[in-house]
Formats: sequence, structure tokens, C-alpha cells
Amino acid sequence: MSSRALAGADLAIGAPVAHLELDGVWAVDPAAGREGPADLVVEEGVLADLEWHESSGARRGRGRATSDGQRHGLVVAPGFVDLHAHFREPGFEDAETIVTGQAAAAHGGFTTVCLMPNTEPPIDEAPTLRTVLARAAESGIPVRVLAWGAATRRREGKGMAELGDLAEAGAIGYSDDGAPIPVGLLRNVLAYAGMLGRVVADHAEDRELTSGAEANEGLIGTILGLKGWPRSAEESVIARDIAILVDVLGSDSSAARLHLTHVSTAGGIDLVRRAKAAGLPVTCDVTPHHLALTDEWLAGARRWSWQAWQDGPDRDGSGAPTANPWAGDALAGPPYDPALKVNPPLRTPSDAIALLAGLRDGTVDAIATDHAPHTLVDKEVEFGLAANGISGIETALGIVLVAVEAGKVSLLRAVEALTVGPARVLGPAGVPAPALEVGRLADLVLFDPADGWLVSESALSSRGKNSPLLGRSLPGRVLLTVGAGRLAYRDPDLA
Amino acid sequence: MKAQTERVAGEPGAAVEPGGAVEPGAAVTGAVGPGAHHEHEVWRHRHILDVDDFTIDEIELVMATAAEMKEILSRPIKKVPTLRGTSVTIIFWEASTRTRVSFEVAAKNLSADVVNIAAQASSVTKGESLVDTIRTIEALGADMIVMRHGTSGAPYLAAEHFSGHVLNGGDGWHAHPTQALLDLYTMREHLPEGTVAGRKVVILGDVLHSRVARSNIWTLTKSGVDLWLCGPATLLRGFERWAGATIPGSATFTVTSDIERALEGADVVMALRIQKERQESGLLPPLREYTARFALTRERLALASPDALVMHPGPMNEGLEIMPDVATGTQSVITDQVTNGVAVRMALLFLVSGVRDVE
Repeated sequence: MSSRALAGADLAIGAPVAHLELDGVWAVDPAAGREGPADLVVEEGVLADLEWHESSGARRGRGRATSDGQRHGLVVAPGFVDLHAHFREPGFEDAETIVTGQAAAAHGGFTTVCLMPNTEPPIDEAPTLRTVLARAAESGIPVRVLAWGAATRRREGKGMAELGDLAEAGAIGYSDDGAPIPVGLLRNVLAYAGMLGRVVADHAEDRELTSGAEANEGLIGTILGLKGWPRSAEESVIARDIAILVDVLGSDSSAARLHLTHVSTAGGIDLVRRAKAAGLPVTCDVTPHHLALTDEWLAGARRWSWQAWQDGPDRDGSGAPTANPWAGDALAGPPYDPALKVNPPLRTPSDAIALLAGLRDGTVDAIATDHAPHTLVDKEVEFGLAANGISGIETALGIVLVAVEAGKVSLLRAVEALTVGPARVLGPAGVPAPALEVGRLADLVLFDPADGWLVSESALSSRGKNSPLLGRSLPGRVLLTVGAGRLAYRDPDLA
Repeated sequence: MKAQTERVAGEPGAAVEPGGAVEPGAAVTGAVGPGAHHEHEVWRHRHILDVDDFTIDEIELVMATAAEMKEILSRPIKKVPTLRGTSVTIIFWEASTRTRVSFEVAAKNLSADVVNIAAQASSVTKGESLVDTIRTIEALGADMIVMRHGTSGAPYLAAEHFSGHVLNGGDGWHAHPTQALLDLYTMREHLPEGTVAGRKVVILGDVLHSRVARSNIWTLTKSGVDLWLCGPATLLRGFERWAGATIPGSATFTVTSDIERALEGADVVMALRIQKERQESGLLPPLREYTARFALTRERLALASPDALVMHPGPMNEGLEIMPDVATGTQSVITDQVTNGVAVRMALLFLVSGVRDVE
């Protein structure tokens, strides 16, 4: 950026971006299926100009002369869309509020966030939903907050929530996240939501199979003496949900759509892949932590899923190659870190590798953070008693970029899964398709893939400091986030 | 696991002279007999949380030190001043008599000051967190904490928040390191030539929920035992996978529900406690079926080698997983396990203390 890049260096959060020039940045626009060097100009909050340089085979981060000393290799992309986050308000404001959540989202490069309804009270009625949306609009942080409505009353699985009223108030879809929608109600919720043009996001977990469960059922959980969380608890519900969807489509509503959130197993991805191949309206998301972290971390390993995979191949019971973290020097951190306790649990390297394959081939529609902030009181306890969840909205980009650097997914595909992909899941009820499109309000993130940042309690804007990545450096410092033409986040060191 | 191990060799090795004062780093002179100067260079554990990261040399050091402690136990006055002035707090969140008393006797034999806290879950119900409890114990002046907790991994959390030494007296299903070491000691004491290498050891029963089994897997496979785990399939869940994983320093082991095959020619048979909840939670049919198929009976024991050792970590359900005549028979070394438990725990308290000489 030139020195005149960001007019008004003291521009406040929420202020319209009067003038911004990004020269010679690496633009990534999945909507156009294109990436490459480009110049962008934002005027009065609107993307006024986007000029792609001639395709010269230039690669991101190298080659281009910088005669005026500007940094090179910066990436600009449409603002990210998070399908799955918890901002804890109302009810658990000591863990996060809508405002702190928005700040964390902006720091992570997200300009749109879809909140799950497991607050207290839950978002199962229109007035509660309106309150949440109003709170977000009043905050002054231009991160668009959308909300899932509860699928069932009080998320208790005993009767349909006010789906129509919730839709009218702005619900983008329905979910009882944290709990699966009971089988009998799911059929009706899918049909009714289809009528309303809304998607239903199910949390696939058969709780009879996960009663007391602490860690993925496998080598690590067995050795650590943690009660197993079997894959079948997730996969049986995914299979069941897809079968129910087929009946709904045939008999109830041809507009019904099913979304499976935080799919974590190889078998789950495979079920979604087959459903998609059969033409069913099924979508899914995966979290950054399930892509890159594995159950090995519970034992103290601190290597990425693909590194563990490469260090195999020993054989686990499923016949898939798996590494043994007790081998070599893999055990580098403390075991039983409660920050790693999450639902669904971190799985094996083979599961993570399958999620990455699903991300590459389009089975995975979106990367969603499942940002789940918790207080120290709920997390600095014995592993088995710790609350489930990872504070992840600020580390999502970094984890994804580590996977990009390792060649596990292309930058274009990764950005697609953070922007266009989740928008497609929501359909017309959601957000305008994210794109670097001239004439529209600027909605974008600028980050430096080469510049690492240290994940620390003070670096996280979220109230939830429950990140298993504390103390690690991640690539992809976010320099600037612009939401709807206004400044959402700006790196303090940005000139 | 690595993070909790720290090299303590070379740290202020305070020497305790018989009847004398503690002099940090003092050279040791005149030590005789069992109190001879120890080579602690192989020892690198600040805490005893599990045995997964014990080297063969460390295991050998524990065995040798325990032998010295056992000699002390044979004296008319079973007390040495080794840990005089050291404050040991024993806190058990789970009911236990055997292990708690064993630690208490061990610490007192070394002249440590012992504080006993029966936490049972009371602090949990009061809302006090484990970390708060540990900080309180530290503020009260404890140098060592011996703890038992129902949640796997809890001692690691305690160790992170305690500046002294933590000894794990059993955590959830995960580990019971002092039990595994006393089991090994007892086997070596009774097996010909004092070695377990190449011997067939069978652990029988509820392996899934057993911290004793898990810790024994580490020590026994590292020691070259031909280890067999036997029980109903529902109580062996996941162990086939562990057996198939290659862990450096460990042989693999055999997992089977075929009790005849498991017991055939065995040199040691260790029965595990079956808890009645296992039936209620649907893991087992009515318990008499367990007894019929898996209890250690006189007839089944006859499949093992004629002088096979019978072990049990206690407390026993006689008539359920082990028959009374077997438990108290000539092959039983169950009471030796209890005695050796004191010696092994004395050894571990001594080794983590950094004190260089027993007396």
C-alpha cells in the first residue's frame, strides 16, 4: 500500500472507508473463480475499481518489484462468512458478548457471522432474535450478525419452535446446535423450514453413544483412559438425517434443505459425498480445528494432522494408517489440555485427512469456526469436566493458511470455503454472494500470509481465551477488515 | 508424556545426614549399607504422574531403591529420617483405604510430615475447583501432594499449578503408576532369577476401566513381558488397537477373550476388580455370567504354570472375579503386593524429593 492507502490514519472502527488504495495485492475472488495481482480502490465505502494485472504467471508473495517500498504479497479477499459461532449473549456474557464477538470476528477477517441459538434464553422466539440483531447493529462494529433460530422450543427437542415468526424476524435457518434434533421432529422441521425457504443445520450426535464421552474413541483415548466418543455417534445421525431428508423431499416439501455442521469423521464426509452425488440438497461445514488438529494433541503432540499422517503409517483398528505420538519426539506439550475439549472431539489424522480431501473436492461447502468462547472457570478444570469448545474465530484464517502452505488446499479453494461456500449454504435467506465486485459496498479482508502473529490471551479480542494454540505463531496477520464499506478491524501497526 | 518431566538431577540435592541438619548440596560422607550414595543421574521426574515416560534405567532405579526401602521395613524400627521436614499432603477425591494408607505409612517411615485430606467430592460440591484446592495446599506449605482423582489426567492439571512434587495415586481410568511399579517389584521378587523378561503375565477382567492395567502395560511391555489382556469383549474395548500400535520401548501384547488360551502356561495371573456398575451400564450380563466365564478359579489357575503367581490390586470381590481359595492360596502374593507397595512408595517419595541419600 502506498502511504496514501488508507486516508485518515485515525479512522475509527465503524467509520466509512473514505478512500483506500490497494496496489499490487494478490486478490482472491472465488465468485469470479480468479486470483492474481490486482489494484483495488475503495471510495466512500464502495469498491470503486478493481484492475487485475495481466496474467503473467506471477505468484503470490514473490517477484513483483516494490519501487515505492510497499509491502508485497498481501492478500485481499471478500470478507469471510462464519456459518457457526457462539457469542453467548444473552445469558453467558462473561464468556462473550455480541460486541466482543464482533470484534473477534473482525480480527479474524470475518464480516458476516451466523450465531447459534444456544443462549439463555435460547433464540427460539422472534423477540429474542430481534434483540440480538439489534444489539449487533447498535455496536458500531460493521460485522454483520445473522442468527440461526432454534429448531425446537427452548432447544429441548419437544416441539417445534416458532419457525415462521423467527424467519420473519430474520432467522437464516434453524438449528438446535449442541444437541441433535430428535428424529421425529426433524422430519417436520425439515418440511416446515423448506416451506419457509430455510435450511436446517443439524448437530449430528447420538447421545446414547456419547454419554460421558471425553475423547475420540481410538488409540489416544484408550491410552489416556478417556471415555470413547465413537464415530458411529456422528455417522449414524448423518445417515439417519439424510434418509429422513429423502422422505421429506418426496412427500412434504421439495424445498427442504439439510446442513450438517462440524462434520468430523471420514465416514461422515463420505456420507455427505454420496448424498451430494445422488443430487440431494445436503451441505456441510468443517471447523479449522478438525482439519488441522487431532486427538494426538490430547496426549501432548503438537503437530498438524498431515504431519502426523506422514509420520505414520502404523495401523489402527480401522486399517487406516495412523501415527503413534508416543513414537519419536511428537509429545511436545502438556497432555489433557482442556482447551482441546470440544464437541465433536478432535479425531484421528486419518479423519482430518479425509476432511481436507472433502474440502478440496467440494464435499465440504464451508469452513465454519464453531467459535465457542468459555470462561477460565469452565475451562481450567479437569479435562473430563471442562466445557466443550474452542475459541476459534480469530485463529481460523491462520490454521487454514498453514494448510495452504502445506499444500493441502489451494488458497482460492480455502477462501471459497470461507466466503462463497457458506453463502451458498444459506441461500437467498442469507447474505449477498461475497465477491470483489465493483460498484458494491466494500466487504473485504486484507491479510499478510507471510507475517506470523503470536496467539496469546492479549492478542485475542474474544473474551474466550480457550484456544489450544496459545503460545503458537500462526501465519496470516489480518491487516484490515472492511464490512459493508466501513472499517471493522485495522492492525495497530498498519501504516 | 513429556511436559511434566523435568531434569532434577543436579538440582540442589539436599543431603540429610543421619540425625543431622539438611545441607543443600552437601557432600555425602560416611553413608553405609543400604543408605549408600545414589546415582540419580538417570532420574528426571519431578512428578510421578504415569509410567509411560519411564526408561528402563528409571524402572531399575525404582526397583533397586525399593529393595533398600524393603530392608528398612524389615528392621525393628521401620523409620529413617530421610524426608524429615518434608510436608506431604495426601488428598483423595475417591474413596480408597489401601493406597492412601500405603502412601501414609511410606511417608511416615521416611519421617515426612503427613496431612491427610479426605476430599471425596466435597470440594466439588462446594464449587471449589481442583486448581483452587492445589493452590490452597501449596499455601499451607506442602512439598509433595499425593492425589487420587476420578477424572483421567487430573494430576497433570495439579502438577501444572503446584511448585512441589505430585504423585499420582490413581486418576480415572488412566494411570496408577505406583501400583504398576509395586506389581513389577512383586513379580520380580517371586519369579525365578528375579526377572520378568520372557514371562507370560495375564491381566484378567475389566481392562477398559482399569488404570492398573494401563500402567502395567507400560512397565511390563518395557520389561520384556509376554503380556496378555483377557476379559469379555466389552471390557477390552480399544485395547486391540493399542496392542497393534508400535510404541518404542514396548513390545506389543495380546488381547483375547479366550481365557483358556490366555491362562495356558502363564507365570503370573492378575485379576482385576469387577465393579457392579458394569452390569447396570449394560456392559455385562448378570454378573454370575462373568463369574462363570472369567473368574479366577482353582480349575482355571491349573491351566497356568504350576507355581504361577496370583495377584490382585485390591480391593477384591471374592467370589466374583476371584475365588477365595485362590486369593488366599499358596500361589497368592496379594499380601506381598501390599507390603511391597509401602516400599515402592517410599522409594518414589525419596526419588522425587531430590534427597540424595536414604539416611
